Amino acid sequence: MAQMFPSIGEKRPKMPVFTIEDCPQCGTKTKRAFKLGDFVYREGGECAKCHAKTIISMIYAELIKVQ
Amino acid sequence: MGLPSGGLTTTVFYVIFTIILFAVSFLWAPRIQAYTALNDVKKNLEKLQVLKDASRREAIGYVNTVMKSSKDAQARVDQFLEYFTIMPVDLDPNGIVGKIEHVTRLQDDRIRDELKALSPGADPVQISVAQNILEVATSLNMIFKIVRHFYIQGQKTKSYFILVQLQMIMPMLVQESEALMSAVDAFKQAQPIGDGLGPMVAGKLMVGKEKVTVERETVYAVTEYKGRKLFVLKAEGPMGTVGRPQVGVEKIINDPNNKISTVIMVDAALKLEGENTGEVAEGIGAAIGGIGVEKFRIEAAATAKDIPMYAIVVKQSLIDAISVMKKEIAEATDKTIERVNRLVEEKTKEGDTVLLVGVGNTLGVAQ
Ligand SMILES: [Zn+2]
Repeated sequence: MAQMFPSIGEKRPKMPVFTIEDCPQCGTKTKRAFKLGDFVYREGGECAKCHAKTIISMIYAELIKVQ
Repeated sequence: MGLPSGGLTTTVFYVIFTIILFAVSFLWAPRIQAYTALNDVKKNLEKLQVLKDASRREAIGYVNTVMKSSKDAQARVDQFLEYFTIMPVDLDPNGIVGKIEHVTRLQDDRIRDELKALSPGADPVQISVAQNILEVATSLNMIFKIVRHFYIQGQKTKSYFILVQLQMIMPMLVQESEALMSAVDAFKQAQPIGDGLGPMVAGKLMVGKEKVTVERETVYAVTEYKGRKLFVLKAEGPMGTVGRPQVGVEKIINDPNNKISTVIMVDAALKLEGENTGEVAEGIGAAIGGIGVEKFRIEAAATAKDIPMYAIVVKQSLIDAISVMKKEIAEATDKTIERVNRLVEEKTKEGDTVLLVGVGNTLGVAQ
């Protein structure tokens, strides 16, 4: 039944998209703007702390509120 | 208040005026309403046309500039938009699922092959993206044409009931079309969409493991959790595809070496108004959408071997499911994996083998 009247959702404003890189060594998470060619579970850049290879763990859109 | 003073003439005039007013509102009310409905529908129809044209332009633009089509894609894209699928006859429904699957696969293969022929240099991700954009453009084209059909019919017949029915569903059609259009942005840049949650959960468990291609665009890996063997299945990313999980599930379940004792399916589910995006819910059954072919085959495979099926879904609206993944949904990945682990601990014992299926469009999500 629930599928019959699903929520279409609110109009979405243009939201910036971010890529999150996780370091498997020290657990540091880096958040940066999405670049073309990024995809989840792809190798990311070098970790700023321990210089290990990071892995992209998430790509998501987030509404940034301007104060 | 009383009647206005000023003699007989004014009184007679007043009475006649009232009668005419009554007559007009009684006799012509449906006409007046039909006229307002017609205007309303027309305004929304124009909106649908704008969306339809925009999606067509996006499709042509993508094939021409990103996929570097060998010749101008405009005419081909216009042909794609008019492609139709004739569904098998259901007078005798025995075996219809196989026929539907056959027809829809053929449609899918045809567009992919023709896109490949159009731009031989394009990579598989680009082809899948173009296919997704074309799907959006085809849907918008279809919605527009059907609405226009009833609009013209209403105009011709002045039928109040056709127009008013159209007027009632118009706001929802426009919203749905806008939602479809917003998906194109995510597709173009190959970003994960909300529906990609299932693949994201499965993919996380598959990272670093050896991947086996079990069927076209469908891969699995074997991992372990607290003494249980875990088969994890998903569509092959980062292409924009849902793969063929039903074939994967059948093959894995029917392999006598595997001895699957439990199936767990993870999918995105459409939420009702008022529910929170990213909410995780658990249930029983085959969590998979679509036309029903996949669901049928997975249910049949599990039933034949009497294997319990557990479902974990993450709630989202239609627009969230087809546009760039929201933060709440991305963050639900770890919560979902926790639920999977708990289910595995509760419902199976050490030495058992579990099949986990991450259902959804795996655009922008590898493994
Ligand atoms: Zn590090």
